[in-house]
Amino acid sequence: MSRLKLLSTGCVAGLILSITAGCASQQNADACNLPQTSDLDRAITNVEHNLATGCEHRFHDYFQSLLVVAADNPHSNNRMLMSDHLVRSHEQGVISKRQAQGLYNRYFSVKFVSLQGEYNTCSQTCPVRDKVMSDMKAELQDKELGLMRASADSNSYYRADNLLKETDLVLEATCRACAAGNRQVSQQ
Amino acid sequence: MFNRSATSSVSRCINAWSASLLLVLCLPVFADKSGPVVRLFPTTVLEDIRETGQVAEAMENSLQDVIARMDMQQQLYTQSLCEGAEGDQGCDRIGKQLGATYLEMLNVMQERLPDMEIAVNNTRASLEKRLREEIGYRTTPTSLQDTLLGEVSAAGPEKDRPALRGRSGIRLSDRFQKYYELVATTREGPGRSLAVVASDIYLDMNEASQLIAATQQEISRAALMEQLNQSFGLITPEMSAVVGGVKEILFGETMDRSSIAAPPYMIGESEFVSPLAM
Repeated sequence: MSRLKLLSTGCVAGLILSITAGCASQQNADACNLPQTSDLDRAITNVEHNLATGCEHRFHDYFQSLLVVAADNPHSNNRMLMSDHLVRSHEQGVISKRQAQGLYNRYFSVKFVSLQGEYNTCSQTCPVRDKVMSDMKAELQDKELGLMRASADSNSYYRADNLLKETDLVLEATCRACAAGNRQVSQQ
Repeated sequence: MFNRSATSSVSRCINAWSASLLLVLCLPVFADKSGPVVRLFPTTVLEDIRETGQVAEAMENSLQDVIARMDMQQQLYTQSLCEGAEGDQGCDRIGKQLGATYLEMLNVMQERLPDMEIAVNNTRASLEKRLREEIGYRTTPTSLQDTLLGEVSAAGPEKDRPALRGRSGIRLSDRFQKYYELVATTREGPGRSLAVVASDIYLDMNEASQLIAATQQEISRAALMEQLNQSFGLITPEMSAVVGGVKEILFGETMDRSSIAAPPYMIGESEFVSPLAM
């Protein structure tokens, strides 16, 4: 009898425990919600609060939602707000400095993070020219969101677009010249 | 078939090649203004481009006279209502004269094209070497962006710049006309990156080299055909095909490619600079 009582007590305790855990999980999920406000400054404040209270894993979702909020309310200040947010996220230890730089430049810089490297163009870029160009085209779409739609900076977007076209032309010529040089070397 | 537009095309072409000479003269100034890191147009390359311009100009001058004569004969043929007038001795004579002038044009082309081919190939080779050494081996992808962006940032309005070349269909003379526009813009302020100009010319020279080789083959075949056809004294479809090939190199039709609008970058504008920026 006492064993039965012990068992039922255990069951009740287990049930209470699981309900509590479920509630905590639900509470945690609620706490990690995406920002609901259309004000970018407030949305960033909410996001940073969440990031500081256990929602670091949702950083990229937050970043995308902040971009959407910014695009809904385009302003030249948005770029600065997003930059500050990335810097603070790095300082909080949520993302690395390289990630912060990568994200900022991908969306808000004229330059392309897809075209980076410290080795010479013949050896680093030419062998993967098609992929580099494809990545740059994808990045231009992100710049369209960050520069044109979120920051209302069409000038910078057009410069990025122009840079992409010129890079395409220069790489076509340079890589052809590199290939011709390689042929000459192999024939000797 | 051989209309008056051919003469005006020749004039356009001469202008285009003159533009190439102007480009050569103005490039050192352009280089100083934009302050490039790379040296793509040393004296040797400029000399090759200048020589190519001279050879092309000589060929165009020789052709201008022949094509003008062909225009006149064509006009006479039409005014004399010779089309369809088979058996008429006068018309036969005009037809044969036309065929002979056509052969003369082919001979001029055959005589001049090898020089043109050599000049184009020399320019292509010297530019190829410079591109490989200066951009291929002496720039990184990162510094390439800096080079292109640094010079583009101060450029004039997009409408004043020549459009970038396409993958095909751009004629040599048309390109040099666009370079002329580039030079004209450069006089008023900094223009497009030298790396872009060098790449543009190099790719054009590649295309021109291929077109010249193809036209030489076509001319040899057509000259034989026309010698056989002399007894008929007619303007054949082959004749117009060859003239079309010649015009493809020298008197290209204008391909008006619209470029994306890119308003000038406002230098005086105070803009936010992120500590994260590259």
